[in-house]
Amino acid sequence: MNKLFNVIDFELKSYTKNKSFVITTIVMVVLLFAASFLPRIIDMSSITGVKTESIFSGSDDKEEEDDSENEENDYYLYYSENDDFGTEENINALFAEVGIFKKAASKEDMIKSVEGQEAKGGFYIKDDMHYEYYVFNAEMYDDTQMMFESVLTQLHKQNYLIAHGMDVTEFVAEYEAIPEGDVNVLGKDASENFWYCYGLVILIFMLIIMYGVMIATSVTNEKSNRSIEVLVTSIDAKYLLFGKVIAGTLAVVVQAGAIMAAALVGYGINHDAWNGRLDMILNIPSDVIISFAVFGVGGFLFYAFVYGAVGALVSKTEDINKVAGTVQMIIMIVYFVVLINLSKPDGMIMKVCSILPVSSYSAMFVRIAMGKVAMPEVIISAVILYVSIIFIGWLAAKIYRMGTLRYGNPIKFRNALKYIKERE
Amino acid sequence: MKLEVKDIRKSFGDKEILKGISFEVESGKALGLLGRNGAGKTTTIRILMDVFHSNSGEILLDGKKFDRKKVLIGYLPEERGLYPKRKVLEQMIYLARLRGVDKKKATENAMRWLKRLEVDEYATKDLETLSKGNQQKVQLASTLVADPEIVILDEPFSGLDPVNSQILKDVVNELIEEGKIVIFSSHQMSYVEEFCRDIVIINHGEIILSGNLLDIKKEYGRSQLVVSPVDGDINKLKNWINDTLSADVEVTGDNKTDVIVKLKDGISRMKFFSDLSDKASAEGIEIEHFETYKPSLNDIFVERVGEEEKDHEESSEGGEDNE
Repeated sequence: MNKLFNVIDFELKSYTKNKSFVITTIVMVVLLFAASFLPRIIDMSSITGVKTESIFSGSDDKEEEDDSENEENDYYLYYSENDDFGTEENINALFAEVGIFKKAASKEDMIKSVEGQEAKGGFYIKDDMHYEYYVFNAEMYDDTQMMFESVLTQLHKQNYLIAHGMDVTEFVAEYEAIPEGDVNVLGKDASENFWYCYGLVILIFMLIIMYGVMIATSVTNEKSNRSIEVLVTSIDAKYLLFGKVIAGTLAVVVQAGAIMAAALVGYGINHDAWNGRLDMILNIPSDVIISFAVFGVGGFLFYAFVYGAVGALVSKTEDINKVAGTVQMIIMIVYFVVLINLSKPDGMIMKVCSILPVSSYSAMFVRIAMGKVAMPEVIISAVILYVSIIFIGWLAAKIYRMGTLRYGNPIKFRNALKYIKERE
Repeated sequence: MKLEVKDIRKSFGDKEILKGISFEVESGKALGLLGRNGAGKTTTIRILMDVFHSNSGEILLDGKKFDRKKVLIGYLPEERGLYPKRKVLEQMIYLARLRGVDKKKATENAMRWLKRLEVDEYATKDLETLSKGNQQKVQLASTLVADPEIVILDEPFSGLDPVNSQILKDVVNELIEEGKIVIFSSHQMSYVEEFCRDIVIINHGEIILSGNLLDIKKEYGRSQLVVSPVDGDINKLKNWINDTLSADVEVTGDNKTDVIVKLKDGISRMKFFSDLSDKASAEGIEIEHFETYKPSLNDIFVERVGEEEKDHEESSEGGEDNE
């Protein structure tokens, strides 16, 4: 057992002495923790809805002045041959949501102004159902026309009601009456839990892919620099693989844990300043954090062993992707299936995914957070996952033992199993 | 301690790599494990190290089944391998600890061996920053860091300059004097001759020659003699022997100063010496000296392996013809 701890200790140092690992962790922790204090430092009322005394408040007036300057050309022209819509004041009242409207002398003048980019756009209004919209450069997401049409539709309805002798105010009040009600969620609110689940699914996917490849690279490096020749004669190969995987897992837990803790603790301290606006991402219930830890660590271990075996099947780091392709494909499929079914946590697909060891690391905590899942189901899934880890660890150690002293072309997984059967 | 390897056989798939390898080596002795590339030396070593399992045969230590886990073995592989981006001392301690040495002792041993091999100044440097020769010395220090009872050295002298070679020679001699079992694999026969009392030559997975090196040399030199001319013209002497003394001897080769001859069946040394003296005096051939041929290990290796290769090729061709 001491030998296993020695391997873990040595492998862990390859992370803790890796400048990029240490710097990334520290920078992320500091940045996220500092970012959680932002509403106390600068005015983020547009996001938080809470007005804070900003240290940059002195510049607000200037910004407003700049805005008013910019607004000089920020208007629309309109021209209506029949003047059905009344004065410019009326038009501006009607289309206040769209922007500021100025009346053009003629249709041609209006088009000329738009072409000269003096006005943002121009509307040639024929009647309450027909118009032409002129714009110099159409933006990708220009909603001006949509908003204009919406007002025009309302206007058309009003004209119809008036023409038929109906009281517009009374009709609108009854026709568009909205029932009032309060929602009292006694269990889980999927809409509230959606975003942090979304974030956690992405997080575990990224960690498995990033660190899995690091573990595979570490194994392959030992083959390519031939240190494996000495190692396998000094210690049982399974200790080497288990040591690497456990060290990689500890590194992930420390890094991801520190980063998550910085964000969650920082947000907890500044919850009022944020006015709870990030609750959907950062107010994660403890049962979800625990299930994420249990299934996330399990899933990571599962794939870390697979990546360790993959590393043993090749002799050069550049060959890792050739063998790891299938594993990465499975991880990607799990990722997309879970993301696509995030809004259906109790659907059949998610139920199956939450039981299979290749996908339960991602699907089960989503079901716990957003769906209906009984405790026995959670326990069975966890047992299946951890038993699978033991099996995969055992198989990976066999492949590692067999593959470490075979150099040359990548060994196919099928052949690896054949060689194991033959027993060297 | 006495390590015995008995009739080890090993196949990978359908290919039989080792076809019954046997040898033994005792404490305070060095065994030369020789053979061409791909002969089966490394596979034999890996079976000894319990990296591979043999299909049959056994390994005994002092008459009992050899348990790899109970005996410390220091292995210097032919393909050197340590961590290029880790500190020298750090990885030496790691390797010692993997072999069961506690941290304090591991640190002491590591520093002692680094000092002994004159590379202690690089203890805190990354391995990749050292020259090839110094990396080689660190590798040897790592082999010995756990104070092993059995030391297996695979091509330990490759890449070393004469000064470093001398340091290594001294270390190997010390290991033998300390009573370690040393198994020495190398293509540099002069080193094998220097250290090894016994040798085993493997070819195509079979032992083609084994035993005490002195006895082997004696046996190979028994019916062979060297004759050297005064004028140094060995070609002239070779032709003269072929023309004049072909009834007594057959010229088998030469080195830079001597002609090597082999006595024909039934011809004694005295008979050949007498004929040589008479005919040389009569024809004015001056002979510098005449003595028993003492073949080098290199000569024995080339001759023995060469013969085997010829037989192997012939049997392969025969096999192909049969097919």
